[in-house]
Amino acid sequence: MTALHPAAGYRLSSLRKRFFRTPLQAALSLASLLLLGTLAWKAFDWAVLSAVFTGEGGPAACKAAEGACWSVIANRWRIIMFGLYPYEEQWRSALSCVIVVVMIVLSCLPACWTGKRIAAIWILGVGLFYGLMKGGVFGLRYVGEEAWGGLALTLFIFVSTCVIGFPLAICLALLRRSRLPWISRVTGLIIDSIRSLPLISILFAFAVVVPFMLPSWLQGDKLYRVIWGAALFFAAYQAEIVRGGLQGVARGQEEASMALGIGYWHRISRILLPQAMRNALPATINQFVISFKETSLVIVVGFFEILASGNAAYGTGEWTFAYVEVYAFIALVYFIFVYSLSRYGAFLERHMAIGTR
Amino acid sequence: MTQTLPETPAVQIEAMSKNYGSFRALRNINLTVRKGEKVVVCGPSGSGKSTMIRCINRLEEHDEGRIVVLGIELNDDVARIDEIRRDVGMVFQHFNLFPHMTVLENCVLAPMLVRKIPRAQAEATAMRYLEKVRIPEQASKYPGQLSGGQQQRVAIARSLCMQPEILLFDEPTSALDPEMINEVLDVMVSLASEGMTMICVTHEMGFARRVADRVIFMDAGEIVEEGNPETFFVSPANERTKKFLSQVLRH
Repeated sequence: MTALHPAAGYRLSSLRKRFFRTPLQAALSLASLLLLGTLAWKAFDWAVLSAVFTGEGGPAACKAAEGACWSVIANRWRIIMFGLYPYEEQWRSALSCVIVVVMIVLSCLPACWTGKRIAAIWILGVGLFYGLMKGGVFGLRYVGEEAWGGLALTLFIFVSTCVIGFPLAICLALLRRSRLPWISRVTGLIIDSIRSLPLISILFAFAVVVPFMLPSWLQGDKLYRVIWGAALFFAAYQAEIVRGGLQGVARGQEEASMALGIGYWHRISRILLPQAMRNALPATINQFVISFKETSLVIVVGFFEILASGNAAYGTGEWTFAYVEVYAFIALVYFIFVYSLSRYGAFLERHMAIGTR
Repeated sequence: MTQTLPETPAVQIEAMSKNYGSFRALRNINLTVRKGEKVVVCGPSGSGKSTMIRCINRLEEHDEGRIVVLGIELNDDVARIDEIRRDVGMVFQHFNLFPHMTVLENCVLAPMLVRKIPRAQAEATAMRYLEKVRIPEQASKYPGQLSGGQQQRVAIARSLCMQPEILLFDEPTSALDPEMINEVLDVMVSLASEGMTMICVTHEMGFARRVADRVIFMDAGEIVEEGNPETFFVSPANERTKKFLSQVLRH
């Protein structure tokens, strides 16, 4: 059969209409196509055709080649992914990453959305992660937080920030809409103060300044202080997102549940928040994405999360020329996480739209 | 049969007033509703009729006077308010169904959370009331998939599931398309015939004539006139009532 499928025929004709209507338009379209094609070819040539993939030749093989030097990844991926974590124990760090990813994926499934299941997944997941990373139990060698690094550290900071920050955000949002003016004003002041500071200064303050103000038994490890700082920052922004979502819920919803005799906590948890979170979903996903990328700021207080570990991976003399490849690799890791997060957000929006047509 | 003990009235309002800032929304309201009585409240818009019935389950707070519902006085005691709200159902102008839950979930939520009734039993009760409002086949749908009239009937069923002593109706048909008004009124008429205590704010004068034991006319935050539907519609005493009725009943 030579006849085109009707849909394909339609697409072809609409393509022609849009890009080849006049000779000038056609010329411009072709020129743009040529430019894009050349760029794509150059990139492909650099990344694949002329690239060095195996690590056997060492840096010398790369310097001789025209294209990308992926052998730096082959040689250095362990530093990028695990940072300063002891070499022979790095399987623990890898397994921990898998645990966190499984935990995130599980809690993203609508089937797991009951309080008990979510709590079980998170308590088990965080417990396993912590035990595995830190060791000192079941014959595992002790590895202190200062030696954690790479992807495991990035994921740990991100997940803890969200787990602490999200409930905090909901509390702040509810307090801010309290009927008692002094509560709502004080909460507003706290939120606005945190939001008016850059994250980097908050991290710095929690890592460096707080130890001078708190008694030593309250300080905790620097890592946890930094996580609390990041969580506070996350909560301040997310609280405003939740508040916006709450404002989008019709006044009648609260009245109807009050008229049925439903108490405050059930009104919040069963009627208002489920609807508010639907309204706030796009902005919430956005906030998660931003927080994931902002984990890289912990570099300023001396943590080797994935970006800092990447710096270390090419910064050792023989590989210093291969920084582009290292950054491309790290960008890919970020992309995988952030893109999955956005796709999940889109799925959630469709899933939640069912009830509210 | 003569009653020996004076029964506690369903609702007793004494010298109640409410202000919004300097605006007197309600002034010196006195109203007693016996158990089983059906009262229709009418009046021009802005006359305070909605505000008055919203005071009965404390969606609005009154400033002066006393409101006693089922023998319990309304004050700042939150536990008491929740106790009263359990027994006083309310049907709203805009239905206010919970859009993220199915019809059945809308109906079982409060009985399960507030009355601690097990799910199976709550669902059985809910289905019985959904049948009563002639909509059991929609139980698994979401409110957004129903017409206005159907939503309002679900809202009535949802209130009934709490097995209230009193039902308050706040203009239940005024947000509906004309062809859907009757299906809601029919449900209300059958509830009335079963002895439910009802206080209805409505402009449906035909319903008032047919069902009400007493019609109350409000204007500018006051009860201007009250009486049984016969005398109220045929020979109203007050000028304001006459004017209102001539406007409402013109067609």
